[in-house]
Amino acid sequence: MTPESGEPLLACRNVFKYFGALAAVNDFDLDVHTGDVVGIGGPNGAGKTTFLDVISGINAATSGEIRLEGRDISRVRPDLICHRGMARTFQLNAGFDSLSIRENVLIGSAFGLGDRGVPAVTYSRAMRERVDRALELCRLTDRAHATARDVPVLERKLLMLASAVATDPKLLLIDEPVGGLNPHEVDDVMEIVEGLVAEGMTIILIEHVMRFLLQLSRRVVIMHHGEKIYEGDTQGLLSDRRVVEVYLGAGTADRLQHMLAERAAPNG
Amino acid sequence: MKYRDLIIFAILLAIAIAFPWMGVKRYLIASALIMFCYATVVSQWNLVFGIAGIFSLAQVAIFAFGAYTTAVLGRYMDLTLWYAFPIAGLAGMVFSFFVGLACLRMRGIYVALLTLAISQVMFVLIQTDSACSPLNQRDNPATCVSFTGGAQGLGGFGSFGWRDVLGGRNWILGDYYTMLALLVVALIFTAAVTQSRIGLAFKALRDNEELARSRGVSVFKYQLIVFAASAFLTAMAGGFYAAHFGAVGSNLVAFPLLLFLISMLVVGGIGKAWGPLLGAFLLMAADEVFKEFSDWRNIGLGMIVLVFMIFLPEGVAGAIEAVSKRATRLWTALRRRSSA
Repeated sequence: MTPESGEPLLACRNVFKYFGALAAVNDFDLDVHTGDVVGIGGPNGAGKTTFLDVISGINAATSGEIRLEGRDISRVRPDLICHRGMARTFQLNAGFDSLSIRENVLIGSAFGLGDRGVPAVTYSRAMRERVDRALELCRLTDRAHATARDVPVLERKLLMLASAVATDPKLLLIDEPVGGLNPHEVDDVMEIVEGLVAEGMTIILIEHVMRFLLQLSRRVVIMHHGEKIYEGDTQGLLSDRRVVEVYLGAGTADRLQHMLAERAAPNG
Repeated sequence: MKYRDLIIFAILLAIAIAFPWMGVKRYLIASALIMFCYATVVSQWNLVFGIAGIFSLAQVAIFAFGAYTTAVLGRYMDLTLWYAFPIAGLAGMVFSFFVGLACLRMRGIYVALLTLAISQVMFVLIQTDSACSPLNQRDNPATCVSFTGGAQGLGGFGSFGWRDVLGGRNWILGDYYTMLALLVVALIFTAAVTQSRIGLAFKALRDNEELARSRGVSVFKYQLIVFAASAFLTAMAGGFYAAHFGAVGSNLVAFPLLLFLISMLVVGGIGKAWGPLLGAFLLMAADEVFKEFSDWRNIGLGMIVLVFMIFLPEGVAGAIEAVSKRATRLWTALRRRSSA
């Protein structure tokens, strides 16, 4: 439960997910400790989202072991996994379309931490405070009364993130937060996720935009055909031959090297 | 917004209370009280279909279940109907709970098919129930009436009892205000549930089930809650219906009534607070027109549903909302221009 005890927050061992004969997730291992920020990259169809679906209970693993704080969750319903402290966002801009942004976030806050018995009619003070905090962290406070259906794509993505944050997760899974956004919006989301990291949140992040992934992650995993082909720090990633071959390409790897170097220089 | 709704509610309630004293024909009073009854059922249906987004057609079966439970309790156990109503309500909740359980792993149109099948099975069971029931022979051994009354229907189980209190002419006022009271309770109940935390879970599951589950909302729990919660007043309405007419028949589970009530929901506006009331009012009025062409009644209703599905999927309530939103926007724009 804590880093000192050595037990990871999330421990995945030999996880397989088959669709017919296709192994979308193939013998995957991953440990995430409290405070980690793990980025998962890889080509389209590598199994990244499927892996998130598997650990968040949306789509149960074919075999393997998934433990959250030492307790097996590989056969647990998604709502109960959320109650145990794992919340996720979706690649598609999922939202509760007919509800306001505030109500969207309120759902995460009111039901995400546990929901035993017949729920009360009203909302507790703690619930409302979690909503305010999540809206603030995701910079949606001014937009709280807009209807989810009507808001632009950036706000829809932030809204989904805010409703996950409002469940007060021990582990937050973020699936392609900046897909389809322009570079300026990517920077906005980056700042917001950096804010969540600064809050001490433990995060698994999937992203295709490599500069986003590399700047936020403390550890990077690259998947290909459902398998892990790389796990380690960002520097090692760019010089890893296999990653450059199947995913990045030499040009991109070069460009990212420069970006990291530039970013490191002014900070000393 | 909520304030405005309260004012509308108060005005409508005042009109409904004054209505029988405005010199209207007795026939209209009777029509209005049936409208209240249907509006009660449709408001509960709106909770399942409109708010929780579950495409269930079981509401009419629950209504009939409440009516028959009341009739059976009154006839065979000599229970005063005022005791039978809440029992029928609770029995309806249990019935609906199991319907909800049966539908748990189904989505969309499959829920509609299963719940339609349940009401058709009820219809056939009642229609074909022809074995003489010993319960009916204790008074008059020569008669042969089945337990549910079969295709002939079942009567002789009592009424609200207003005839004894108000006399032979004014008893209908008693029925009228009783039905109105039920509708008021139903509207308040529906509004309260919709605004509550439970209502938020219903709406979450309606809008996006996968996301709702990922935010900790249990499908199992809230589907069963909505089925049970929406059934009590529906079954009570069935009991009130039986008490008003003094008879129940298999027409209560037959297709025409289901079509009539779902038309109210569609025309009024699925998921809209004022939808059931508007729909019940408009459809009762339209039905007066269609009565002249009795063969065409169902076809006419079908056409209305079709037209609304295509051109006004949000119903009359949705159209009014849209128009008033546009009017407000226009108004603020005009004011800004004139002040500038």
